Amino acid sequence: MANPRELDKRRKSIRNIRKITRTMELIATARFKKAMDRASAATAYTDRITQLVSDLTKTGLEVSHPLLEQREETENATLLVLTANRGLCGGFNGNLIRAGLARWDELQHVAPNRRLEIAGKRGIGGFRFRGHEPDQEFTHFEDKPAFDEVDEIAGRYLDDYVTGNLDRLDVVYMKFHSVSRQEVAVETLLPLGSLAESVSESAAADSASGGEIQYEFLPSPESILEEVVPTSFKVKLFKCFLDSAVSEQVARMVAMKGATENAGELIKSLSMQYNRARQGRITSELMDLIGGVEAIK
Amino acid sequence: MASTEAIPNSLRCVVVTPEETVLDTTAEFIALPLFDGEVGIGRHHSPMIGRMGYGELRIRNGDETSRYYVDGGFVQVADNVVSVLTNRSLAVDSLDAEVAEEQLKTALSTTTTGDEQLAIRDRTISQARAQIRMARKPK
Repeated sequence: MANPRELDKRRKSIRNIRKITRTMELIATARFKKAMDRASAATAYTDRITQLVSDLTKTGLEVSHPLLEQREETENATLLVLTANRGLCGGFNGNLIRAGLARWDELQHVAPNRRLEIAGKRGIGGFRFRGHEPDQEFTHFEDKPAFDEVDEIAGRYLDDYVTGNLDRLDVVYMKFHSVSRQEVAVETLLPLGSLAESVSESAAADSASGGEIQYEFLPSPESILEEVVPTSFKVKLFKCFLDSAVSEQVARMVAMKGATENAGELIKSLSMQYNRARQGRITSELMDLIGGVEAIK
Repeated sequence: MASTEAIPNSLRCVVVTPEETVLDTTAEFIALPLFDGEVGIGRHHSPMIGRMGYGELRIRNGDETSRYYVDGGFVQVADNVVSVLTNRSLAVDSLDAEVAEEQLKTALSTTTTGDEQLAIRDRTISQARAQIRMARKPK
């Protein structure tokens, strides 16, 4: 027979947990909205950069830049894994770590020198647990990654790439498609082979709308392209960080919503058990009483 | 150019950084720092794409002139829209001459080796000088 007091205790503690998870859900929702606003504000820049590149290529300029070219031999590869600093967000960190580990093993066959860089305490812990010590860790990225912070990291990668200390950079992050869909993305950001791809898309859209504008270039298309390519890399990396921040909040929101609902169900079933036990106890006490009265007679 | 005749005197200026759209306003005249000097843009300016340097972005609207510091980037002019793409943009009031001077001092005193480091130092120096110049300039 279940002890009603025990059951009541459990029910109380679950109520407390439900309060916490509900609060966390609300906080995650608020943070998600903010992060979402930031991410959508950032697209203005990306769109314009793409537009600029497509205008540049329309001049018949040969798009060639050291950052765009595939290197014949990959000596040094870096893997950057973007995870969260905090847990309690469902499978978010686990999925990222799993994808990161898979790519990390893959890189072993491609490049002799590997470097592991991880953002987020969860990822650092996860990799360390599996015996991979990260070469560099970042824990200062919360839900609002600033461009200056990302710029610093991006600048280091660019310098390393130009000087030949880095031949390939892979980034593992959670790509944000919509509120209901985020997926793990493993992308090779350096060499930046896809500049032409994104250009051809937008160029196609442009030619459909018509209206060719002849631009005057100061100083020259080549020199502008030289500047645009690193900028577009930086923006891409920044977008990875933003996506990751938004996805983390969404994941937490969903996880906490589930937890709150589960707690509610648990409370319901515990209440039922508790009431039944209480009723059972009352009945048995009554039986005792009646039995005693009967005995006295 | 039917569309521009319909709304005369309007030159749109959009300043975007990777983080957000800082400014979206109409103006009569815009002065920008290009990589080798200042350029002034009025209405019906011919389409242009340019590389910017570090310095002052002035937007004149009637008698009012707003001033911003821009940190390099690109400018694209087409159809009376001036798009400024920059890493950082600050209103002139938020510039701090002392901080910039400190930055300049440290940049000047560091010794550099190699072309990359030299380029980085040059960039810091010109950024700091542009900030100091703007912060000191009387309104």
